[in-house]
Amino acid sequence: MSASESDESGLFRSLISPGLIDQLFSFCDDHAWTLLVIGTVIGALPPILGLNQGYYMTVISEMFLFAILALSWDIIGGQTGYPSFGNMAFFGIGAYTTAILTKDFSIILPIAMMAAAGVAVGSAVLIGAAVLRLRGHYFAIATLGVLLATQQVSRILDITGGASGKILLQTPSGTVFYYFFFTVLVAEAALVYYLSNTRFGFVLNAIRDDEKKATAMGFNTTYYKTAAWVLSAFFTGLAGGGYSLFNTFINPQTAYNAAWNVELIAMALIGGSGTVTGPIIGAFGLHVVIEYVETAFVGWQLVLLGLVVIGTVIGFPDGITGTLKEYASEMKYYERGGMAATDSNDSAEVASDE
Amino acid sequence: MIAQRWQVMSDVIKNSARSSLNQQDSEPVLRTDDVTKRFGGLTAVDAVNIEVREGEIVGLIGPNGAGKSTLFNCITGTLSADDGRIYLQNQDVTSWPEYKIARAGIGRMFQETRIFDAMSVRKNLLLAAQKGDADIGQLLRRPNESLIARSDELLEYVDLGGLAETRAGQLSFGQQKLTEFIMELMAEPDLLLMDEPAGGINPSMLENLIEYIRAANEDEEATIFLIEHNMDFVMEVADRIYVLAHGERIAEGTPDEIQNNQRVLDAYLGRE
Amino acid sequence: MAITQFVVNGLLVGALFTAVAVGFALIWGVVDIINLAHGEMVMLGGYSSYWILNFLTGDAEGSVTLFLVTIPLVIGIVFVIGYALQRILVARVIGTDIFLTLLVTFGISIAIQQLAIQAWSANPRAIQILFTDPSLSVAGIVIPKMKLISFIGAIGLTVALYVFLQRTRTGRAIRAVSQNPEAAALVGIDVEHTRAVTFGISSAIASGAGAFIATILNIQPQMGLIYTLKSFVIVVFGGVGSIPGVFIGGLMLGTVEELTAGLVSSQWTLAVSFSLLIVLLIVKPTGLFGEETA
Repeated sequence: MSASESDESGLFRSLISPGLIDQLFSFCDDHAWTLLVIGTVIGALPPILGLNQGYYMTVISEMFLFAILALSWDIIGGQTGYPSFGNMAFFGIGAYTTAILTKDFSIILPIAMMAAAGVAVGSAVLIGAAVLRLRGHYFAIATLGVLLATQQVSRILDITGGASGKILLQTPSGTVFYYFFFTVLVAEAALVYYLSNTRFGFVLNAIRDDEKKATAMGFNTTYYKTAAWVLSAFFTGLAGGGYSLFNTFINPQTAYNAAWNVELIAMALIGGSGTVTGPIIGAFGLHVVIEYVETAFVGWQLVLLGLVVIGTVIGFPDGITGTLKEYASEMKYYERGGMAATDSNDSAEVASDE
Repeated sequence: MIAQRWQVMSDVIKNSARSSLNQQDSEPVLRTDDVTKRFGGLTAVDAVNIEVREGEIVGLIGPNGAGKSTLFNCITGTLSADDGRIYLQNQDVTSWPEYKIARAGIGRMFQETRIFDAMSVRKNLLLAAQKGDADIGQLLRRPNESLIARSDELLEYVDLGGLAETRAGQLSFGQQKLTEFIMELMAEPDLLLMDEPAGGINPSMLENLIEYIRAANEDEEATIFLIEHNMDFVMEVADRIYVLAHGERIAEGTPDEIQNNQRVLDAYLGRE
Repeated sequence: MAITQFVVNGLLVGALFTAVAVGFALIWGVVDIINLAHGEMVMLGGYSSYWILNFLTGDAEGSVTLFLVTIPLVIGIVFVIGYALQRILVARVIGTDIFLTLLVTFGISIAIQQLAIQAWSANPRAIQILFTDPSLSVAGIVIPKMKLISFIGAIGLTVALYVFLQRTRTGRAIRAVSQNPEAAALVGIDVEHTRAVTFGISSAIASGAGAFIATILNIQPQMGLIYTLKSFVIVVFGGVGSIPGVFIGGLMLGTVEELTAGLVSSQWTLAVSFSLLIVLLIVKPTGLFGEETA
């Protein structure tokens, strides 16, 4: 990736200098935990302040849900560089687990939730053993295959209600779900942020950037990849566990939704993959837009999704956070000596990016 | 006991005449024993014996296709040798997986200079220092002060101070090469394998590079084994040189000895 | 006897899979991307034929000859669509992260799917071909005539592609680009145009198969993804660079599916296909016949 510099950004540059953005990032880095606490407080307030159950609370709860899913995807896709097109498989597994346990076996919700996360993690370990040894597009397609296979299985089995799925009648109130998704999101964001500054996070990024080099440096990449994959599955499965009850209905189509999987990826990309805030921002933003389109132009929301995906990939692959970071670090490089730090002749030997 | 007595003796012997024929001089850091690697009908590495002793800078030269990189790959575990044994600090590492060998103390620099482009130089260095100990406690802790200090120290060492927070991909090729070099030093390897370190470096930088390598060898006590095509470079930096041709070891000795070796000349001129 | 029937069914439908997969393999080999929108070309082919027939006869049914007349039209239309997609959208992400190319084609796939739903509703449709006697019976095996015609059609398309690649100038240009784009550019081949032509041809062949599928199965806007995945399975099995390998792979997949449907239940066919995919990827990602891909 080369630093973006063009004449068109001149206006933007004069309004908001790279230095300013850089300061913004430094500020956020230094006070990350404080910001997280503030965000938690802000997010927890609306129901207390009078937001009633109903359309808006549902939309916001869904925003949290998608943020969880996008962030979870990003752990394996953005941080580790293994783009999974089948993360929703764990979503569906979690969703069906809670649905079956609460409806057919009358198990109380908290236990069913833990079971959902557990089953998701267990299947992640099994599936991961098979697919994590693949690279690049083989991995992506394999995960897509896994998603469709699990979808197919739930269509066939009786316990999952076959193609018609399951209807759940006794579910907690909307406020409960609001806080449930919100809490999981906060917990996940905190965890991902913490890990991104430890060696564990560094190694994941190294695997993304150059897995062979990471192996040559002594890291057992299988171990790290599996950990990331399982972590991603855990949160996805947990979110799914909540979803089936939230939605009071689950069927193969909604539980194992390939279009949603693409939606999550788009959210992570637009916001800025590989960061903590990126997927969250992307999820909030894109979900709101899609909701709006769904109400205003019924049926067109997925067309929009397709177009958004195309547009993002072609024009905007670093996403918001990524592009801003690149912009901010431009100045830093030149300020700190940059090319002048070595012989000028080296510029003739700049290796081309892969 | 016995090992210690050998150690004392070997230190004495090392300071006087070289005795490359006496294999019990000092414990070699790396030893290969008739290592062989075949690809289908082609024998890329043919019963090669080499030895690298502690504190040495050893060069590996030979015409293109001689099997040098393949030998490296066998040593690091990227490829598995078909025959023969490889010993690191007297431990048989022949069938070990790549990451395990790296953890055991071999560092490797690549021909095409591989570093982690998207991360800052600092992050690259910190990553290199923590060489894959699977200790959970270490895994989840943030990098400590002394490591950060050491990374600064090494950056200064190669005159790259101030570039710690720059994204590694933005550095020039020469700077990236030096970054890869100090990343290896962060890891404090017992043995550092360098694959064509002089490749793509302009002549004035080469002098600096030789200095850095020598300094690392002395100050950091890094044992170095390098592949190189640039003859001037390798003759100046290496203590001892091995020559490979057609997968076989055809010569071994000091730079002077190699330069006057007819068989080596023949190999390079295609008469072998 | 039942098993022979299943095998025959499998071979008949397998040829169609082959025709689709061959285009997929071509794009993979030449443009170096995995086109997740490939199945949508099959869908578009089916619908194009449906609507042309509808236009001609007022109803989506007709004689065999009338149907066959639509094939060249369908191929022409979808060729243009494929060419345009590559030239305008896909070309922009070639050479970047593989993941991005996957995502772009998946985005295109979703967009096309959803537009189709909006335009033609999600209800399945089919083309009715009128026969006095719809099936043949050979040695106790029932062979529906339309399936036989589709089989021949699919083989015809595949062979035509093979001949095209081997014998024509454009075909040679395509093969040159697949081996070494830079060298091809140096000898004066317009690489961008060639890539777009490849995309167009692959899409066109898939659409031809789609038209046949509309007559023997049915079509609905979301049918594409399954064909894309089946193509992937076939190409992984047969190898990216090998048309014969893909050919065998297609026939085999068809046979396996029909056997599963007949002996177990048709519900399990997809599960079997996907399991095959996973197993193949683990065991032999470069295919049984093909060369190394990156």
